[in-house]
Amino acid sequence: MVKSTYQPSASALQPLPPGWTEHKAPTGHTYYHNAETKESTYKRPGVAPTAPSINPAMNSFVQHQTVPQVNLSDPNVANAFMAQYGQPPPHQQRGQRGGSGPGARGGFQARPRPQPVDKPRLKIPIPGAEPWILVYTKYGRRFAYNPTKNASYWRIPEKLMPAILELDTARIRQKAEGKEIESHNGGKDADAQGGATAAARPSAPSPQAEEQATHEYDSSEYEEVEVTDDEGAEGDEKNQETDGEGHARKRQRTEEPPADTGPAEFTEADIAAQLAAMGAGYYGKDDVAMGEGVEGEEEWEEGDEGLPLSDEDARLLFKDLLNDFRINPYSPWEKLIEEGKVFDDPRYSVLPTTRARREVWEEWSRAKIQENNDRRVKEEKKDPRIPYLAFLQDKATPKLYWPEFRRKYKREAPMKDPKLHDRDRERFYREHIGRLKLPSTTLKADLRKLLVSVPLSTLNNTTDLLTLPPQVLSDIRYISLDPSIRDPFVEAYLQDLGPPPLAGGEGAGDGEDDAVKKSHGERLKREKALEERQRAVAEEKRRQEKRVQYERARLRDGEREIERAMHVDKKGLQSQLTGELAKT
Amino acid sequence: MPAIRPASKRKPPPDGFEDIEEDLLIFGNKMKDAQNTPTDNIPKHQAQWPIFQISHQRSRYVYELYYEKEAISKALYDWLLKNGYADAMLIAKWKKQGYEKLCCLRCIQTKETNFNSTCVCRVPRAQLKEDQDVQCVSCGCRGCASTD
Repeated sequence: MVKSTYQPSASALQPLPPGWTEHKAPTGHTYYHNAETKESTYKRPGVAPTAPSINPAMNSFVQHQTVPQVNLSDPNVANAFMAQYGQPPPHQQRGQRGGSGPGARGGFQARPRPQPVDKPRLKIPIPGAEPWILVYTKYGRRFAYNPTKNASYWRIPEKLMPAILELDTARIRQKAEGKEIESHNGGKDADAQGGATAAARPSAPSPQAEEQATHEYDSSEYEEVEVTDDEGAEGDEKNQETDGEGHARKRQRTEEPPADTGPAEFTEADIAAQLAAMGAGYYGKDDVAMGEGVEGEEEWEEGDEGLPLSDEDARLLFKDLLNDFRINPYSPWEKLIEEGKVFDDPRYSVLPTTRARREVWEEWSRAKIQENNDRRVKEEKKDPRIPYLAFLQDKATPKLYWPEFRRKYKREAPMKDPKLHDRDRERFYREHIGRLKLPSTTLKADLRKLLVSVPLSTLNNTTDLLTLPPQVLSDIRYISLDPSIRDPFVEAYLQDLGPPPLAGGEGAGDGEDDAVKKSHGERLKREKALEERQRAVAEEKRRQEKRVQYERARLRDGEREIERAMHVDKKGLQSQLTGELAKT
Repeated sequence: MPAIRPASKRKPPPDGFEDIEEDLLIFGNKMKDAQNTPTDNIPKHQAQWPIFQISHQRSRYVYELYYEKEAISKALYDWLLKNGYADAMLIAKWKKQGYEKLCCLRCIQTKETNFNSTCVCRVPRAQLKEDQDVQCVSCGCRGCASTD
């Protein structure tokens, strides 16, 4: 679906020889320049690839010849062993971690093959060894992973061997039967991966590589695990391992039951199917919205209602929550649920059901939108010309024609504003450029004329440069002068003006303040109530636990009693009674 | 198909569009994703379900904003309908009694079915058999009767 946008980065390539520098041509090509020899080339100059080509060979030689005899059955030892002997040359390794994987090795130094990092693609629970999971990676490698101990080993631990063998034979048998099921696909896939891994490591002169190419792929997998490992660096391995675990864990978290029962195959088709399933789940939710309301979501219900928090308070608390999370009142309810960021808040559970929540949300959003609209009506309309003219003053020069100017700044917000027509924009631009050529005395006179035309009620000695009325700001005459000349001029003019004419006083401010204060106080009260309620819930829970423990202890006592009573040996009741007697 | 006008010749959307722009964009992206998802291994009749469902959601969103929350102006509502953000025909049905939750227009098109009946998703839950799980063929609806 998403195409890879991988590009071999410069760091993934070899470092340039001294004297060479990398540049980008205007066409986008990269080229290399040597300042000393004044030489430029598109080809990447490189040192002869002798040194790096030896190393891997050496490496593999080392790993297959001079390996000391260690007991690899212990997984820990095995891991350490691989870390020590699977070390490729360190100086290239850094670059390769950038994403080229094991591709750039030996012969093809010049062009590292773009290869994504190895990823887990399929996990299978190992029957008989319950917490253990066998994880297959994209390159056909596999490792055993124990989610409870949080440990993973490339080298399959000895005790899991029989179970995995069994698993493999089962798989082969399935393949032989030619069942048209998922695991069949998976098996084929694995074969293909085998081929891929073999292709990816052509320089590995190991006997296992040949073996792997044969049909006995499945049975040779155990050794193959080691082979692939030897080639990865220590960091590499660790990385992938942790990576793998992360993925595995993530998978466990996100897609729960259906994938885990059978052999979960994460092939291309299956991922698509998974996505579809997830999509279906998602649409299912919408169907709920379409059809049967929201009863389906009532599992969110928390068991802690029934404690004293009045209905009104609960509703208000939930509204506070919506306010605090800055929920967009225009957004649909499904979005709120999907995002799920409000779930963790304790205020989410003050309302018992999702239906109630939705009702409150509806009420809240309606009120919020109303409030928004009211505010907008009160607010004066912002003139779209003001930002555009400010922008013009900043950017316009007589050197650019309008089409050039437009092309150059088409990404800027004032140039995209749909409120202002393109025609007007062009007109303003031409006018402005035309005026820039006029002498500054004319411009000053024009500005003065503009300022005089504004009535005293809006422009007076209390206004300053930042609070100029829109009448002034949206006029082309205001921006013609350079700000360094204009600002002192306008300031001087403003100081000469008289005070604003007296009008009706402002009495509304106090009442508003009071309202705000009151609502704040109420909110504090509600929050306190919620806290108390939570404390009460915790208390109740503790008490319940205690009771349960007490009951359990009593039950245990009773059981012991019964057991003792049942413990009647061959001699029958008599011995029991005599024993009792002897005790007393 | 109407001519696609360049941005410079387009009229700006009515006021209030900025408020809902983001959500509409999300719907638009979802729709694009759904359109670009390969449908190779999906049964043929299911291939268009996500399209229907997203279109339903978006129409419902616009409908609720205008008729229930009264959050957008008449001008903006008309503009949205004109620009294909909502299905006017579907909304017209939602205003009728008994069709308040209708999933798609195909599901009430009786002439397209063998026995001149509506889709199974129009059947109220109460009249279905116990635990009968329906999902309609045309849009994947699981039931859109008003009484559900």
